[in-house]
Amino acid sequence: MDYGSEVKKRFLSPNRAKGLKEDAAGVVSGESADRTLNVWIRFQIQAIDGVICAVRFNVYGCPYTVATVDWVAEWLEGRPTDALLALGMLKRREELGVPVDRLGKLLLIEDAAAVCQEQLERLNMQNGN
Amino acid sequence: MAAKKIYLDYAATTPVDPEVIEVMTQCLGFNGDYANPSSSHGPGRSAKIRIDKARTQIAERIGAETNSIYFTSGATESDNMALIGVMHANKHRGRHLITSTLEHKAILDTAYMLKTQGVDVTFVDHDADGVISPHQLAAEIRDDTVLVSIMHVNNETGVLQDLDLLGAVCRERGVLFHADAAQSIGKVSLNVGDSPVDLVSLTAHKAYGPMGIGAIYIRKGVNITPMIHGGEQEGGYRSGTLATHQIAGFGKAFLLADPDREGPLLAARRDQLWGGLSRIKGASLNGHPTKRSPHVLNVTFAGIEGESLRSALADVAVSAGSACNSNVPDPSHVLRGMGLSDALAASSLRFSVGRFTTEADIDYVLSRVQQEASRLRELASGAPDWTAC
Repeated sequence: MDYGSEVKKRFLSPNRAKGLKEDAAGVVSGESADRTLNVWIRFQIQAIDGVICAVRFNVYGCPYTVATVDWVAEWLEGRPTDALLALGMLKRREELGVPVDRLGKLLLIEDAAAVCQEQLERLNMQNGN
Repeated sequence: MAAKKIYLDYAATTPVDPEVIEVMTQCLGFNGDYANPSSSHGPGRSAKIRIDKARTQIAERIGAETNSIYFTSGATESDNMALIGVMHANKHRGRHLITSTLEHKAILDTAYMLKTQGVDVTFVDHDADGVISPHQLAAEIRDDTVLVSIMHVNNETGVLQDLDLLGAVCRERGVLFHADAAQSIGKVSLNVGDSPVDLVSLTAHKAYGPMGIGAIYIRKGVNITPMIHGGEQEGGYRSGTLATHQIAGFGKAFLLADPDREGPLLAARRDQLWGGLSRIKGASLNGHPTKRSPHVLNVTFAGIEGESLRSALADVAVSAGSACNSNVPDPSHVLRGMGLSDALAASSLRFSVGRFTTEADIDYVLSRVQQEASRLRELASGAPDWTAC
């Protein structure tokens, strides 16, 4: 398989692969998986006052999946939390040069992010926000 | 400085041996034996001498009579010739073919094609280690069985089938027996003179010879319908101008490929490799632990995604399955056929050592695999159980 340079770089040295403290303020996690696609993704998101300040992840998947998760984690930091529902995997796939037959794997990234968004809303309700 | 690269994919193909290159070069160019070996003039006869010598070298390597070796473009063509040619020529005897789901695609796809033409195909069962027992085979043979095709050394796992026992079952029942021996030469002994094998597929490029040339051994008396016509070369079995340089190289490669000398050396490198890999968390060997060729190791790394591991080892050439299938993301049909789940089959790598593999190469590969396996396992920390079972 001939991966593009950005995919290779992110796959070999993902920047946000270490975890956040689960009990830290504003930290939630969300995961998605598909056994048939051989993919599992877990995000940890820390959001304060509606802004994502830290994203970490664990992932089991091919280099394209790892690289895209790393890209998403970097992109999300500093954005408002509703960015979790606006990842735009169709566009990201093209930008990163991921083959179209891997799109199913990338859509699982959106699913994991969406779970984080739900968790954040739940957390906000618990905190009376 | 160029990054170090270690080649451990000898089961896919081998570098051409320098002595083979020398012989091939002698058959090229104006001062070489370049003429058409079918020509009756002097240069043609010189080329034919090369062909005859190579044919003898190949026959001697497998204990065959020289005039039972016929050149083809490779083992894939030989496999096609064996299955299609034998089933067609012997259709008066029946329309039943037996093979195994663990075979190379060259056999499987040909079998499936024959099925569309009305041939009844049975896939004989095997145990969890990928070994076929004579009893299992005997149970599948019917009155209308014409041919059994079982590969000698499995290209993905290295598992070795006992051709003597399986062939004896076939011989007793009057059924022809074909073995794809593409992986055998130079690693394990094969003697068709002593063995009840009627057809054998051979190839040069897995024994340090050139790509694009192979052969089929056809025991005298076996009926087979030719597939390629036009020229009557190879006794009419396989027409087409013989490629003198390739055939000369093929012969030299087989002359050099002595399993008694190379086998123990390969086994030592393989055992060195497995000694290190076996200590990696989640690593397990696929295929029978002892009934195997000395050059192939198929290892599952449970909990580590296979494409990622292979990609992370960009400085080590290994395979996630057979080379013919390496670009196809589907898990290995051989590993699936041996009972591995999709996840475990996809988490498996095939390592294959060769003539030029050194102890230092293995040490380097072990350090890299350990490093990347650890990194990817940590990256996947918390993954569900199905990724590891």
